[in-house]
Amino acid sequence: MTSPDRIPDTPLFDRPRANAGYALNKMAMGLSNPEGRAAFLADEDSYLDRFALTPDQRAAVKGRDWAEMVRLGGNLFYILKISAVDPTPIREIGAAQAGMTLQEFLDTRLGKVTNG
Amino acid sequence: MAELLAGLGTSHVPSIAAALDKGLRDSDEWKPFFDGYVPAQEWVARHKPDIAVVIFNDHGNSFFLDRVPTLALGVADEYRPADEGWGPRPVPNFIGASDFAWHLADRMVEGHFDPLICRELDVDHGMQVPMELVFGRPEAWPVKVVPLLVNTIQYPIPTPQRMWDLGRLLRNAIASYPTDEKILVMGTGGLSHQLQGARAGFINPKADRDWIAKIGNDPWRYRTMSREDYVEEFGSEGAELIMWLVMRGCMDADVRTLHQHYFAPASMTGAGMVLLENMR
Repeated sequence: MTSPDRIPDTPLFDRPRANAGYALNKMAMGLSNPEGRAAFLADEDSYLDRFALTPDQRAAVKGRDWAEMVRLGGNLFYILKISAVDPTPIREIGAAQAGMTLQEFLDTRLGKVTNG
Repeated sequence: MAELLAGLGTSHVPSIAAALDKGLRDSDEWKPFFDGYVPAQEWVARHKPDIAVVIFNDHGNSFFLDRVPTLALGVADEYRPADEGWGPRPVPNFIGASDFAWHLADRMVEGHFDPLICRELDVDHGMQVPMELVFGRPEAWPVKVVPLLVNTIQYPIPTPQRMWDLGRLLRNAIASYPTDEKILVMGTGGLSHQLQGARAGFINPKADRDWIAKIGNDPWRYRTMSREDYVEEFGSEGAELIMWLVMRGCMDADVRTLHQHYFAPASMTGAGMVLLENMR
């Protein structure tokens, strides 16, 4: 789908990703109003039916598989709205993408506090 | 002639807003971060700006991917806080400096910057958080605002040099505005952070500290770095730092760094600020 990223493990949101993820991100954008959130919570499948998700994207959303959503063109700023409906801390979303436990993620990437 | 009062660069991390909403201002985790802003808050309160030009990116709240303005300028009389998924936050509406905003729109287009001109616009944490960090949580904001939005999400994003040049234009727009109002220019975003991909959680405190130390008196390298350099050094979302260059570009070559602060990690981000004034 896309050439390898020059910066490893860093998916820039470029044309191939924006194209691949358009419906997925549009679905998530629909959660930025109370009606969309209520519809998602009441019947997630019916809400997802409104959007042209691929089967893989649908499975990733249903499984709250953040790494897979990003791989399939999801952009965090949109798909984060899923975490507003189904609460998930941002650091857990980070850890899931890094393939780490939350503690491992905090220890190796964010652990050391620096101030002043 | 209007006056450029000062330039301020600051993070706009949404977790800062969440910490304020949850009453965690003085918690062990957050107190050191917020305390570092107090001297700059006091300086701004003493000098009483009339207008704040806030340069920030929308984070998929006011603009979707159906239309992505590279630059957007608010000319409204009032802006409401956006619903980012949790409902609008309990911060006051922002009063627009619409006269200056239209003046800036004229100067931008004449100067070959062509923004989307926005008459109705909800503003997200990209503008809310810097305003709260500088002015606290007043009943009503003590300044009028001009939102100037930059696309930093979907590539192509604008280049660092372009941001600097926009700052030069903003400088001239302030100098040619026929009132005696005092204008605070706020460049926001960053510092290092990455939310996407297997490198999520990347922060670079050393590069952040260099940025804080040099953006005043030695900013030249940051103007010529590529966008990819920014992503590599500051993380995919750390590239938001290009918006500080609008603030820096509108100031003199020689500036005084009045206050600075750095704290990491604020949630998943290197966070901090500088307050700069022109040498006079």
